Amino acid sequence: MTFKNRYVQKFWRFSTSFQLGIPIIISLAVLTAWGTFVEAYYHDAGMARKIVYDSWMMVMTMGLLIYNLLMVVIDRLPWKVQHYPFVTVHFGIIILVFGGWITGKYGVDGTLAIPIGGQSKQVIIPPTDFLVFATYDGDRYAKIYEQKVDFYADEPSESSPFVARLEDKPTQGDSSHELKITQFYPFARVNKKVIPVRVEDSTQAGAQYGSSIKFQLSNPNVKQIETLTQEKASRAVQVNLGPLAVYLGHDYQKLGRKNKNQNEVYFKALNKDHVEYALFRSNEDKPFDKKPMAIGAVVQTPWMGLQIHLFDYLQAAREEWDVKPSEHATPLTTSAVLVEYKGIKQWLLLNDTIKLFGDTVAFIVSYRNRALDLGFPIRLVDFKVTRYQGTGKAMEYASTVMIGNKEAKFEDGQIVISMNEPMKYAGYTFYQSSFNEDENTGEPIASILSVNKDPGRWVKYLGSLILSIGIIWLFYQRRKRRIAV
Amino acid sequence: MIKFLQASVLVFFAMLTASCSYEPRSGEQLRTLPVQDGGRIKPFDSFARETLELIYGRTSYKKDDGSKEPAHLIVMSFILSPESWVNAKIFEVTHLEVRKRLNLTQDRKHYSGEEVFKNEAFKNLMQEIADKRESKEKLTPYFQALQRLENQFFTFRELSSGQMLRVLPNADTTVDKWISLTDLPTDLQPAFIGITQNLASYLGAKTALQDNSSAETKNRLAETSIAFDEAVTKFREQAASKYGDRYDPELKTKKEVFYNQVHPFRWAYICYLLAALVLLFVWIKGIDKGMPLTWGLIILGFIIHTLGFAFRVYLSERAPVTNMYETVVWVSWGVILFSMILEKVYKFKSLLLAGSLMGVLCMVIADSAPAVLDPSIQPLEAVLRSNYWLTVHVMTITISYSAFALAFGLGDLGLIYYFLDEAKYKEQIQKITIGIYRAIQIGVAFLAPGIILGGIWADYSWGRFWGWDPKETWALIALLGYVAVLHARLVNWLQNFGTIVSAILTFNLIIMAWYGVNFVLGAGLHSYGFGAGGIEYVSLFVVLHILFVAYVWLVRNKWQKTV
Repeated sequence: MTFKNRYVQKFWRFSTSFQLGIPIIISLAVLTAWGTFVEAYYHDAGMARKIVYDSWMMVMTMGLLIYNLLMVVIDRLPWKVQHYPFVTVHFGIIILVFGGWITGKYGVDGTLAIPIGGQSKQVIIPPTDFLVFATYDGDRYAKIYEQKVDFYADEPSESSPFVARLEDKPTQGDSSHELKITQFYPFARVNKKVIPVRVEDSTQAGAQYGSSIKFQLSNPNVKQIETLTQEKASRAVQVNLGPLAVYLGHDYQKLGRKNKNQNEVYFKALNKDHVEYALFRSNEDKPFDKKPMAIGAVVQTPWMGLQIHLFDYLQAAREEWDVKPSEHATPLTTSAVLVEYKGIKQWLLLNDTIKLFGDTVAFIVSYRNRALDLGFPIRLVDFKVTRYQGTGKAMEYASTVMIGNKEAKFEDGQIVISMNEPMKYAGYTFYQSSFNEDENTGEPIASILSVNKDPGRWVKYLGSLILSIGIIWLFYQRRKRRIAV
Repeated sequence: MIKFLQASVLVFFAMLTASCSYEPRSGEQLRTLPVQDGGRIKPFDSFARETLELIYGRTSYKKDDGSKEPAHLIVMSFILSPESWVNAKIFEVTHLEVRKRLNLTQDRKHYSGEEVFKNEAFKNLMQEIADKRESKEKLTPYFQALQRLENQFFTFRELSSGQMLRVLPNADTTVDKWISLTDLPTDLQPAFIGITQNLASYLGAKTALQDNSSAETKNRLAETSIAFDEAVTKFREQAASKYGDRYDPELKTKKEVFYNQVHPFRWAYICYLLAALVLLFVWIKGIDKGMPLTWGLIILGFIIHTLGFAFRVYLSERAPVTNMYETVVWVSWGVILFSMILEKVYKFKSLLLAGSLMGVLCMVIADSAPAVLDPSIQPLEAVLRSNYWLTVHVMTITISYSAFALAFGLGDLGLIYYFLDEAKYKEQIQKITIGIYRAIQIGVAFLAPGIILGGIWADYSWGRFWGWDPKETWALIALLGYVAVLHARLVNWLQNFGTIVSAILTFNLIIMAWYGVNFVLGAGLHSYGFGAGGIEYVSLFVVLHILFVAYVWLVRNKWQKTV
């Protein structure tokens, strides 16, 4: 194609030239290579995606690639027979990239975890939301704030924090009702720590702080230290230690024993310095031993010479995350943000919540992956793992599921989803992805399915087919030009 | 072609009958004893080789007098008389830092159990690796070395306690874990004791013969080896009659011992090497009559190569390209195939020479680095099992590496011509350039569809056509690299010299996609094939080639200016 205007002609020549094409190919190669190094550095595919593959540089390079591919094809108009394979290849690439774009824009790619025997309809997808719920009485919560956030892309800092306004009608210039996020760790190692609360504060609106104990269970052979902290005063916590179970905050006098077939110990907050201790032997209704304990006290149990030593006790306490940044992602790291409200700073982990207190109101703050409601529940009827003979290595695993309707009634038959044998339903495809094991027994406890909806799939397949045909065609085509051999 | 088919059918049947009627040499029946290990039933021979490889770093033990003892005898004596090994230097420790931490001398690779494990530092190191594992962080080479040390310790301990060797199916048919030596049922105990007693007298006779070679000691060895074989056979037969098909169906273990012993891939590369030498001679001397001999050797090697591969597929019961070792063997097969096809079309000789040399190189690497390229047959990750697309995509992508490897070999050859005398070998250089261009075209024609097939597999298995996984991304980068070369050649940016240099340099992208992603980047979904080691050799290989290119380029620039 030629143009009369000299500049248009020059621009056209450049657009269709190898001077543009080859640098684009090389930039694409360099960019993607950089992405793989980013991934290797952070041990995290998400980071490579954020920094490289979804970045403006990538979009621009891809844009230029498509532009160049289109221009060279148009430039050859009207096409002759010798152009056909070349046109086919270039169109194949354009269609393929277009399909990828559709997938990125309209596709769904999430995970669905279902416990064995349980059901779920919530698919967890990558976008994250920041939400705040408020309560005046501690029981009923109302959502007062919801915002899509991407802290990777817009990293909050001390100087440019992420701000959410929590109470209505703020007076001008009053920032006391603002919740601020001033720091973000993409990968954080976390530990729980117990923070004492003043007893006066524990009766604040919606607060109802519970208590916390730290104790050691020991005999000449075993030594184990445990910490129990109540989320709120009305909720009991427990730990199962094999020969006995220990509870904190369960009112056995009113509600009865938790499990009569077991040896049990109940702790209950009495006052600032004392916690009540009650010991039950299995199948007995009356406590074997019962007395108030102070920090440092030791009691003897009737089981295998075990002693309980109370290391610490707080009548009112809350748990907080102790967060340290990590350079790399590991299976134990998670994302965390530092939340500041009314001068108090607290770490909030991804897919976790924290409580904050206003003057008359309490808030629950949540930073979580978005959940997509499928509209129909899936029940995991059964989950089977086959292992390589004589080893614990999984050879195959499969979920047997039933699909419910909108009213959550399960009428249709059972379907098996196994490795490489997905289930298609209502436009979604369900793949067997992995499973969760019980830490102690190694038995599977939940199946993880990956859920996918890909409107670009057929475009990509079409593009692939055209491209492959074009390449083979090109290969068979006798080159007329001498230089190309 | 017909001759080729006839020959392959002939060799195939020869191999088949040989494997079916295969009996190990006298005194070596122990090799075929079925044991359960690593998720499958394998012959004791394979078990012993893999175990000795882990502990000692080699598949046979070198005695102080320089003679070699096979793995099956050594590992059996670890089991039966561990106390006699207490002071023997059998534990290989290669990592310098680990040696330093254990206060070991740096002048050797092998240490005794006393030196390594009876050492306060060893306990600390074991705590270190346990903590590291607890943190679930990726293991650096140092920690991988610690992990190996831990494995060596546990393996030797479990071997000597008799726990590790599992020799019989469980009486309870619902339990697939075999029972170990310590739990042998009473009815089979006498037969096993028979093996150990006969092994002792066999070993005794062997040492006696070494000390004093006489007719008497020779006879004694012959007798004891027969008795030893009979003891093993007796145990096998008793077990087979008791457990039926659950014990070594189809006598597969014998066939695996045959495969281990014959080692077909070594014969294949010997043929290739001979072919390359004959070709070189024929070429230099200009005797075209010698070409049929070259072809004969190449084709013979190729048939053995193919059959070895088929045999491996039969033994492992799965697709042939699932780890680094198998891809290297597969790529070398492809190099030979492509070089034969191109040679048949163009008759340049250089094509066949470059192909056979690259084939030898790949096969020798595959054969000589078992720590990096593990030849043992290991269980496959669940997602990789029984999948048609997986097999097709991996084989398509790796066969494209063959074409690029051929181009690389041709590039080296071309560069040597430039190095020798550009003007004199003008015609040869032109031919090599044509070969390179064709080989790259073949490579691209396989790599692009291979990547797409990978996308289809990923879509089919995980619902993700493209996920920027490092392995797929590097395959794409390599493709972009070669596409850039083809385009640059098309518009004459690359002349002959440029094309030859590109064939060498662009191959680095393949090395990265093939080896680097697994061993350098070590991240991503394709982590099943991951291992460690060999980085120094690969880097050296890459750097030497870059230096060679740079040197020839400088010399050529100077020469062009003077002309």
